[in-house]
Amino acid sequence: MIELIQQIIDGLGRGGIYALLALGIAVIFGVMHLINFAHGELITVSAYTSYWLFASGLNWWFIAPTVIVVAVLTAVIIEFVAFRWVRGAPDFTMLMTSFGVHFLVQALFVMYVSANFRQFPRPGWIFDTWRIGGLSLEVFDLAVIAATLVTLLGTYWLLQRTMFGVSLRAAAEDFDTARLMGIRSNRVIRGAFVLSGVLAGVAAVFWLMRSGQAGPTAGLNPMLKGVLAALIGGLGSLSGAVLGGITLGLVEVLLISRLPGGTAGLTDGIVFLLIALLFVFRPQGLITVRRVERV
Amino acid sequence: MLDIESLVTRYGTITAVRDVGLTVRAGEVVCLIGPNGAGKTTLLATVAGLLRPSAGRVTLDDADVTGWAPDRMLRAGLALVPEHRRIFSDFTVRENLLVGGITQPASRRHELLDEMVSLFPILKERLSAPAGYLSGGEAQQLAIGRALMSDPAVLLMDEPSLGLAPVLVDQVFDLIGRLREGGRTLFVVEQNAKRMLAVADRAYVMRSGEIVADGPAAQLAASEDLFETYLGQSGGTA
Amino acid sequence: MQADRVRHAVAPVLGSGLLFLFLVAGSLLYAATGDAAANSLVTQMLINAVVVLGIQIYIGNTGVLSFGHIGFGAIAGYAFAICAISPERKLRQIPNAPFGLAEVDFTPLQSGLIAVTLTVIVAFLIGLALSRSGARSGAVAAVVITLALLFVVHEVARNWIDLTRGGKTGLSFSPLGNATLQGKLPIYLILLGAIGLARLFKETRAGRLAQAAREDDLAARVMGIDPAVQQMIALLLSVVVVSAGSALRVFELGSINPRLFFFDYTLLTLTMLIVGGRNSVVGALTGVLIITVGSELTRNLSEVDIQGMNWLLRDGLTDIFLGGAMLGFMILRPAGLLGDWELDHWSLRRLRRTEPPPVPPPSTDGDQTPTTVLKVTNVTVHFGGYQALADAGLEAASGEIVGLIGPNGAGKTTLLNVITGLVESDNGQTALGGVILTGVSPHVIARSGLARTFQNFRLFSALSVRENIGVVRLVAKHFRRDRPLPPVGALMAQAGLWEQRDRRASELDYGNARRLELARAAAAGPEFLLLDEPTSGMSDSESRAMIDQVRSMAKLIGAGVVVIDHDLNFITGICDRVYVLDQGRVIAVGTPAEIAANPAVQTAYLGTAE
Repeated sequence: MIELIQQIIDGLGRGGIYALLALGIAVIFGVMHLINFAHGELITVSAYTSYWLFASGLNWWFIAPTVIVVAVLTAVIIEFVAFRWVRGAPDFTMLMTSFGVHFLVQALFVMYVSANFRQFPRPGWIFDTWRIGGLSLEVFDLAVIAATLVTLLGTYWLLQRTMFGVSLRAAAEDFDTARLMGIRSNRVIRGAFVLSGVLAGVAAVFWLMRSGQAGPTAGLNPMLKGVLAALIGGLGSLSGAVLGGITLGLVEVLLISRLPGGTAGLTDGIVFLLIALLFVFRPQGLITVRRVERV
Repeated sequence: MLDIESLVTRYGTITAVRDVGLTVRAGEVVCLIGPNGAGKTTLLATVAGLLRPSAGRVTLDDADVTGWAPDRMLRAGLALVPEHRRIFSDFTVRENLLVGGITQPASRRHELLDEMVSLFPILKERLSAPAGYLSGGEAQQLAIGRALMSDPAVLLMDEPSLGLAPVLVDQVFDLIGRLREGGRTLFVVEQNAKRMLAVADRAYVMRSGEIVADGPAAQLAASEDLFETYLGQSGGTA
Repeated sequence: MQADRVRHAVAPVLGSGLLFLFLVAGSLLYAATGDAAANSLVTQMLINAVVVLGIQIYIGNTGVLSFGHIGFGAIAGYAFAICAISPERKLRQIPNAPFGLAEVDFTPLQSGLIAVTLTVIVAFLIGLALSRSGARSGAVAAVVITLALLFVVHEVARNWIDLTRGGKTGLSFSPLGNATLQGKLPIYLILLGAIGLARLFKETRAGRLAQAAREDDLAARVMGIDPAVQQMIALLLSVVVVSAGSALRVFELGSINPRLFFFDYTLLTLTMLIVGGRNSVVGALTGVLIITVGSELTRNLSEVDIQGMNWLLRDGLTDIFLGGAMLGFMILRPAGLLGDWELDHWSLRRLRRTEPPPVPPPSTDGDQTPTTVLKVTNVTVHFGGYQALADAGLEAASGEIVGLIGPNGAGKTTLLNVITGLVESDNGQTALGGVILTGVSPHVIARSGLARTFQNFRLFSALSVRENIGVVRLVAKHFRRDRPLPPVGALMAQAGLWEQRDRRASELDYGNARRLELARAAAAGPEFLLLDEPTSGMSDSESRAMIDQVRSMAKLIGAGVVVIDHDLNFITGICDRVYVLDQGRVIAVGTPAEIAANPAVQTAYLGTAE
């Protein structure tokens, strides 16, 4: 029982990061119908930023907010340079464009930085564990859960209580009618990218705290996880993305604990396989957040 | 107030709107009737900015607004209540109204919200309900209220009575009548010709992309061959 | 038309041969002038061409975006390596291989065949998964499933060390990793086969049906095509070619590791396909050439040392080139350089110009074919809380032209959708000649004898007029053999489209497009034509002309007609009987004259003055 609780906390710790990543993907998909395969590049940029700032002698308290800002800037630049041109294009075109951007940015890193991974120090306290009752919990997991909650609450407040959030949701539901209300399409789309940048930035901070590495493919794994989680939730549903992320985290932890030792490295593959199977039998996603019927 | 001259809109390979011209003066209620497929919705969509015209001019209050994007049109004072209402079903009624007033400063927005609530008492009870749960008639009222939240100079309406049961149709035309009394400028596309003509000042008849008749509403309503003009039946080729 | 079909097969074969000779000559020339590096480059290019052609067979014909085809390549590559590496080397590299694989000894040819067969079996399973998830052109599910394949295979290859020796070292044929492929003959043979297969598949029945489904999935189904079957055929053929190419790649390289068939190779092959034009075989090959040249150039450039240019000329330039090419083409020219043009199109065009217009055959007489009745009864449909149809129905006999009218929102198109199987009704029945069609899939309903047109027409845009009609005729030839099927040329002539026969459907003007919709539905050899607002958007004179069109087309194929329209001139001019729908109910039935005089009908259209 204790082990189960620890695993759940661990799963939530992972799931929180995945939820943030998935939400970033879902927000873009909502307004543009585009799966942003370049989302991971925001993590890569964050990784390199962390590395350089560390090399300059700064610590995590300064680095964390900077990373978020950098992620936002990168997201806006990518939208401006690439995605702006393919709005409204057929699915095939948008998917290939997304891939193209992903490879291009990755190549830029290889070219101008290095093809190798650079290490940077992780905060010491993430390896601490607290003992509560009979439980042994990693501080890191608790920090992630806390930060994710705060971010999600903040995002929720933004989306539900501010006019910007309302415009974004309106555009995601019905782009043309939103324009009829006076909502400017450019602003909404850029806003969506900014939001996805913030979410990616927060996710990056914790992802990098755990991995401690910067390399051109640093963003590949987070991107895949984010896309997978968003797909589980039924692409385009914001709450679905969050639930998808949490589900993914829990499934991962449970798989790792139950698989025989030699095959633990196959976890990612198994997760991917399970999701593919999900898609075979339920293409609309696992969690169909009930859409209110249109009259 | 609203002037349309020689408007042509192509929709794929179709010329849906062929050389259409019409006028809506301030404070008037003007309607556009005609069979389905005549191009009425395409015309409204063009005026509101969702489609680009291939030729012609649209003038709002003496300003040339041809080809302006929808959000720009709204800021210029022209609001559209779209066909099938298209309310945001994931939002509450209140949020729908607030979105409609998004171009207004916050204080004015809340003033307008209060106005709408008094104009549509049914919505007052349902402010916190998700809009997707509204009935057809309530949704229509919400859509109109949402459009009015932008305080438009001209309100365009696309088939407001579409898909509504007869008693709800009554409500809709009742509302149009009230708006007319309140001095609103309305341009309404409608299928229910007789009811619409009863509450309008002037009317245009559109068929196959062209205006085929126009005049004072009462005159058209009384005309004997309205049905023939409407559906294009030329005497007796059975 | 018989000669035309021969030209359809001969010209592509000749074109393919020409292409092959051009490639081979070019590569032999280049290899002869250069050194071992040039030779290797050419070899790799030819092998890449095989793989890209394999991918083209699938993505080009079906439009389904498969990101994971290289995953198939990985399976084939490993199967080949495990079979073909000598047992001595195997025992040293993978001594614990399962199923005693460390001891098997096959020739390269045998290994290749095994690899292809194994991969095709996997492809069949993947194909089942894709059709189950309803993969359509561009749909997300296909991307996910195929990416999963790529990913899972990669992970298995990395982790199943007993079988694959893992990701660090991989398997190799000889200690120094020397190229084990002697001479280029196998490559030439396989390349020739690939070109021929890819080009000819485009012309086969399965290829054409897949292309139609690519253009418009719904319209294809409604014309009797089952996209899943065609997509499976395309997938299996494409995997045969990709497997062969991948085995070659491993053989040429002399080793294999998981990275060889992962994202990098996917990027390379997809970029090659996109740049040239994914719907064209010569396009795919052009893309291979351009990207190979470009990559080689950028690779050389990145090693060059020029003062002041070092910021650009460095490692990674090739990937920038690839990513930039993919991005650039998607933004600027999504169809690729050559679109869907083929080498033999040029010759065909000259031959076709001399074709005389066909003589229309005598129209079938009504009493030659037995009377069939279409009976639709008690149809009720709810969309959420909204009742679209309440106890609606109609009846039509072959030879009759029945109209269906009513105000906007009355449910006319919904009724048509129920009859053709696109919408499920809560209750009610559709019966054609006594055969119950309720609840049957749209493509089976089409094959049983109901063909329809759409309000916003759904033509196969990239296909020509002739191909639009021809592809439907392919289905009808199989399923509607007992019906009068006038030749495609006759249908085109009847619809006044003979002059436009080789123009793309997307280039037609409105009137011609509407007539093509009609002719295409007629090509299905149906018992009944169901037309949804065929005169919508037409001027009065065009509508009048449409009366003759519909009548003569129906007579030509001996079909009855159910037509929805608003133009009362048209309805009166053509219909024997008319049903009037309002608010989902049938409120009147009768001759056009009776209907026009019916006050209930007037009220339905104009409303009450209450």
